[in-house]
Amino acid sequence: MDFEIEYSTEQERFRAEVRSFLEANVPAAMVTTAAVESYTAEQYRMQRDLGRKMGVRGWLYPQFPQEYGGGGLDLDHVIILDEELERLGLHLPPYYDSGGKMGGPTILVWGTEEQKQHFLPPIFKGEVRTWQLLTEPGAGSDLAGVTTRAIRDGDDYVVNGQKVFVGSNNGAEWMWTIAVTDPEGPRHKNLSWFMIDSSLPGITMQPLELLTASGGEAGSASGEKQSVFFDDVRVPANCLVGGENNGWTVASTHLEVEHGGTGNIGRSRMREALFEHCRTHQLDGRPMTEDPDIRELLMDLYVDTEITRLYGLRNYYLAYAKKARTYEGPQYSAHRKTSNLKLTRTVQQILGYYALTTDPEYLVGEGHIEFMQRAGIVGTHPGGTIEVQKLIMARRIGIGSTPREKAGDLG
Amino acid sequence: MDLSLNEHQTMLKNAAANFMERECPKNVLLQLDKHETGAPPELWHKIAELGWLGMLIPAQYGGSGSSFSDAAVLYQELGKGPLPGPHLSSAVLGALTVLEAGSEEQRRAILPRVADGVQVLTLAVLEPERRWGPDAVQLTAARSGGTFTLNGLKVFVHDALAATHFICAVRTTPGSSGAEGISLALVDRSLPGVSVRPLKGFMGWVGEVRFDGVQVPESSVLGALGGGWAALDRAIERALPILAAYQVGGCEAVFQMSVEYSRTRIQFSQPIGRFQRVQDHIIEITNAMDAARWVTNEALWKLDAGRDAASSVHMAKVVASDGYYTACNHAHEVHAGIGVSWEYGLNLHTRMSRTLYSHLGDPRYHKRRMAEALL
Repeated sequence: MDFEIEYSTEQERFRAEVRSFLEANVPAAMVTTAAVESYTAEQYRMQRDLGRKMGVRGWLYPQFPQEYGGGGLDLDHVIILDEELERLGLHLPPYYDSGGKMGGPTILVWGTEEQKQHFLPPIFKGEVRTWQLLTEPGAGSDLAGVTTRAIRDGDDYVVNGQKVFVGSNNGAEWMWTIAVTDPEGPRHKNLSWFMIDSSLPGITMQPLELLTASGGEAGSASGEKQSVFFDDVRVPANCLVGGENNGWTVASTHLEVEHGGTGNIGRSRMREALFEHCRTHQLDGRPMTEDPDIRELLMDLYVDTEITRLYGLRNYYLAYAKKARTYEGPQYSAHRKTSNLKLTRTVQQILGYYALTTDPEYLVGEGHIEFMQRAGIVGTHPGGTIEVQKLIMARRIGIGSTPREKAGDLG
Repeated sequence: MDLSLNEHQTMLKNAAANFMERECPKNVLLQLDKHETGAPPELWHKIAELGWLGMLIPAQYGGSGSSFSDAAVLYQELGKGPLPGPHLSSAVLGALTVLEAGSEEQRRAILPRVADGVQVLTLAVLEPERRWGPDAVQLTAARSGGTFTLNGLKVFVHDALAATHFICAVRTTPGSSGAEGISLALVDRSLPGVSVRPLKGFMGWVGEVRFDGVQVPESSVLGALGGGWAALDRAIERALPILAAYQVGGCEAVFQMSVEYSRTRIQFSQPIGRFQRVQDHIIEITNAMDAARWVTNEALWKLDAGRDAASSVHMAKVVASDGYYTACNHAHEVHAGIGVSWEYGLNLHTRMSRTLYSHLGDPRYHKRRMAEALL
């Protein structure tokens, strides 16, 4: 076993190439601060520009096959890209692209050859931004209980319904969604997935005011969330992916990605900001890091965030090395969510009111800390509540019965 | 032993609940959430007219001289909103501080106006890079003849924008440290050199107050020069269970919201309350609420009965602050997505639970005070 990532000469050459590319193509104004509320349309435009430039090189979705617009790169190179973006406070992709991140792999596994050729290159090259639309007012944890309908009519499906907690701001070109295609069909055998052009007539959006829009998921910050309404939207039949009424089976790939199955090698910016603050600030006239209470609280936080990091690292390795997985995705997700919520209080114990303020005079870590106070709450539900993650773990471990479920296919 | 509310308390509880239902339904609370002080004048006047700002003020100073237990009945109902505004800062913390620290003349001058809601007090104690306690007070008040000149900064002052007067903890003895040499100066917000601004973020109605060469007469110092911290500490010890009762009310509201949601939210063809993991969250809310309630009730009784209440009042702040925080966390897990939407109203409690957690010292501070009383 070796935790040290050993970089070959080839990797270091690649790193130099990536770094000089990013230095030339990432204006400082593009990088968003923690205060996602200040995320501007101009920043979004710059992030999309960067995405297209990376897409041309196959660096936007580097691990996906070249024939569909991906980079065809191995884990060694993907790590370099992740690390170099992370250094600048960016992620892969450098903008909120949930429908691409989860719909892309799903289409790769379940789409027809024609669909792969049609849908994947624009996503992987950054020509489109795609949102996922799963949750409905009446269907959250119970995703199979969605009621948005897509009824076949000639060469189209006619879509009607409402999705909530969608996307971010500045819109998206495509929408990746699940809907009922057989209203009379039995549960789990009545659903299908669609990739929908969001400019089709009958689609409207309405912003939602939330405690934070971004749930603290690895990925770029999103400015707000939307309700999306479908009113007799005619979607061409070839936009149905993975077979009519086969949507629940197809969902296993989407959900595996969403439940943390692909892992994460990112660092904890919140932790770095907090440690830096404590090293450079005083409390009652002495360095914060000399206070025994604060030292203990900081180590509590360090332990939890290290476990999150190691679960993420493990899943990253398992996914890209194509090793067998069972409960690891939801375990990572559940731990991250549970500890992030718990740590909000630890951080307030360390910082007091400083943990809560966005005031330029008093905020900590450029606002990362105050944002974490809200995101730790909001982040407990996107992509499945902690309860749902535990349920999936139990099925895959085989608690009380032999294992009833396998990890989703990541291709 | 009788752990029930008496007849008078039951009437007060009903009156307060009716007021909240009539004057402060959810849509009003959501409007207040975006209001600069959390207390628009018309609402503040209604509260004053009901006599609620004078409950802890003795009759000879224009109040009703109610017991701590009675006042807590009211605050528990207000906490259910939660109703923001400077009622805790002014009518509880401010009034009790003037009672403890002020001279007879100062009490007569100040307290009737606090009871009427004309004068709004708040404590200005904490300073940058300090934690709660006497060492937080560094702001100097230099004496020259009969005048003190204040220079310094107070931060995280609750209800700073609503206040007409600050009870500002200052060092009147140069070079002093700890509890010695601290005095309490009543500073009119309209004096030259006082500037106030709100501090935004995941907290409510907290501000920064700057004192830039502010001149106050010696008569503005409440009580004896240099004895301010001891008086302030006595006042806060009496105010803590009232604050805790407000937090208990907050726990009750998130409990009600969560139970209701567990009955009406259908997933997997059944109310989510049928799922044990959801039940566990609501059980934790229930336990947080009841622990806070009974610790608080006993502390109130000790204050009213004249018993030694030191460990109990600090414990009330510990258990109620942690309990309200915990209850809100579990309520969010019961509600998931809908709970973080502003319109739903749970966020009002979550933000209040965070704001009050650090108010007047966090649970660690109050555990140290408990240890002082018990060990």
